[in-house]
Amino acid sequence: MKCRECQLEMNHHADKPVDPASAEEARGVDPALGAIVEAVHCCPECGSTESERIAPGLATHG
Amino acid sequence: MGSDRPVLIPVILGTTRKGRMSAPAARLITDEINKRAGLRGELIDIAELGLRTDDVGAAVQNPELSDTLKRADALVIVAPEYNHGYPGPLKQVLDSYLKEYIHKPVGLAGVSAGSFGGTRVIQNLLPVMREVGLVTIFWDVNFSKVQDVFDDDGKLLDEAYVKRIDKFLNELVWMARTLRYGRENIPLD
Repeated sequence: MKCRECQLEMNHHADKPVDPASAEEARGVDPALGAIVEAVHCCPECGSTESERIAPGLATHG
Repeated sequence: MGSDRPVLIPVILGTTRKGRMSAPAARLITDEINKRAGLRGELIDIAELGLRTDDVGAAVQNPELSDTLKRADALVIVAPEYNHGYPGPLKQVLDSYLKEYIHKPVGLAGVSAGSFGGTRVIQNLLPVMREVGLVTIFWDVNFSKVQDVFDDDGKLLDEAYVKRIDKFLNELVWMARTLRYGRENIPLD
């Protein structure tokens, strides 16, 4: 994941378990984890934070 | 270089109540942060955020606050104790963000009119901090009998608080620098 401002590759430093936000997302919950994972990234230059929600069971996850 | 950026520490004034005595407490902590080289304190008054009640969570985020929190290296939460708990508007603000908090330290300052200085509100905030990914420090600031700590103009009357805040900030800043390095350089996998 690239920082929107610096265009540098961000550091993926955390996977945070979160509750699914919709019924569709709930179908993507990994049964072993019991949660959706929100992958959190930090830019090493500006310190900005971005994240992406990962639901392995959803067909659209890539 | 990224490491040359000032350590950014928003101080969240955690109540919207008119006449709140938490306001001079939050201003004091913000001022103490800004006295230190290499730090930048910023007072966030939740009464000025235009809090919405028609939805909850990320749907009611304040974009400017989100941007500030994304760049923050640490947080201070100044929380008055209401009925042994934290104010509802504060919880609403806390619940509206998530990625902005992960792997960042938080220092808690309790405020009360009584003798315990918000000890209970701090204890009740701890599980919330853990769940949103904030890392708590082992120093608190407890503003006991807060009506006697500041005068009507918000001027500090008890200089002992400066020493307590100094210890609090020493620990918070150490954690802020350590976790900033981790967030920027240490991958999870």
